[in-house]
Amino acid sequence: MSEIDIFNQYPLHIDPQTKSISLPQSSAYTPTQITAINAELQELNDLHRSFLSIEGPAGIPPPPLPVNPKRSAQITKLRDSANATYRKGNHVEAVRLYTYAIDMALSRPGWEPVTLAREELAGLFGNRAQAHMAMQAWPEGFIDAKSSVDSKPVGNVKAWWRVGKCLAEMSRYGEAKSFVLKGLEIEGRVSEGGKELVALLDDVEAALKRA
Amino acid sequence: MVDWLSLAVPLAYLGVLIGSLATFSSLYRKRKAQKAASLEPWFPAHLQRDIYFSLMHLDPSAQQTEKKLPAVPESVLKTSLLRRATEDIRRVLALRSQKQALTVLLQRGSVGDDLWQRFQLAEKEMEEEVKDVVAEANAYVPNWGQVIFQSANEMMNNDLYRKRMAEHQSKLAEEKAFWGKKKASIQEGFMKELDGSEGGVAEAEKAPEAAPTSATLSVQSDEDAVLVEAESVSSPGKKKKGKGKK
Repeated sequence: MSEIDIFNQYPLHIDPQTKSISLPQSSAYTPTQITAINAELQELNDLHRSFLSIEGPAGIPPPPLPVNPKRSAQITKLRDSANATYRKGNHVEAVRLYTYAIDMALSRPGWEPVTLAREELAGLFGNRAQAHMAMQAWPEGFIDAKSSVDSKPVGNVKAWWRVGKCLAEMSRYGEAKSFVLKGLEIEGRVSEGGKELVALLDDVEAALKRA
Repeated sequence: MVDWLSLAVPLAYLGVLIGSLATFSSLYRKRKAQKAASLEPWFPAHLQRDIYFSLMHLDPSAQQTEKKLPAVPESVLKTSLLRRATEDIRRVLALRSQKQALTVLLQRGSVGDDLWQRFQLAEKEMEEEVKDVVAEANAYVPNWGQVIFQSANEMMNNDLYRKRMAEHQSKLAEEKAFWGKKKASIQEGFMKELDGSEGGVAEAEKAPEAAPTSATLSVQSDEDAVLVEAESVSSPGKKKKGKGKK
């Protein structure tokens, strides 16, 4: 009997129908313990639901690679239709479609590669930011563009530009400058997007001088 | 013929020697184990692990037939095992990142031996824990043990990433409220500029400077809010006056 066999037993309860696990009310734990346990059980039950949707006889999550192409295809489809809607000039509808796609990408099961989720969401957030900007909804655009660069800092020059642009539009020039500088540091000045960033930087600096 | 009487003395000597050695050794080991046990554990209680085992022992009859539990379906146990593996990954990574700093501190004598012992104990425990999880996983599905930690690693990273995104998105209301107030004050500034009032220009220029710092600090933005409100209360009168003049 080594230490590895010792554990704290919790008087858990399983619902016969839904199979969800819960902690009975009457147990003697401190409130912090109870919240911790309940939070963990909540996660467990959520994860269990996605476990049940796993295909295959083993019923275990497949290894991270290769990825199941189904969800990727769905998300791509939604994004394409959102892009088309945006090009037609229907920005409200485009935002709605992008939001659907984002929700779908966010609800990917956790065992799928995080790099994939980052890549997808960086694009989707970036596009939604663009749609918001077309409606002059600067704070929404700023938040989405920031999410996008946080998801994928490298090779995402458009999103960097959008962050800067939104901040500049809200006349938060100081912040805009620091974001644009960070973007330039990562993306470089020579590329097409880099030049746009430089142009934006000039604008922002001019505005700062004026202020 | 063996002379038992003359052998009794050396035999007794040997017996006493071995006996005392054995007693000393067992006492020493017991004390050492006690000391180790009395050390504070490195990590808090492993909640996921506790839940996993609690689920396993939920049904008294389950103990004999672990494979086909009547009460807890296997999928729940598998889920629980994956949660446990995810927490293990977190802990192993934490240990790995702490190890280097701790060795440096130990060499300099900045930390005591106690801490180092606790750390080593935790390391050993985690090693066993990981092995145990692999064995359990293999018991459910052959070869799952080889991928469960890969999956768990992605689970952890995805979790971190989702939380970050949720954090970004949760700031939306704050940003929107802030921008709403700011927009009002800027528009006011423009109106005043149009009216040719000097004070209006100064205020409009003041606003952008105050903005960057107040966006991050909600307390400050509250102050801003008060300011802006005060302005907006006082300004309509001015505006009317301006219009009246024209």
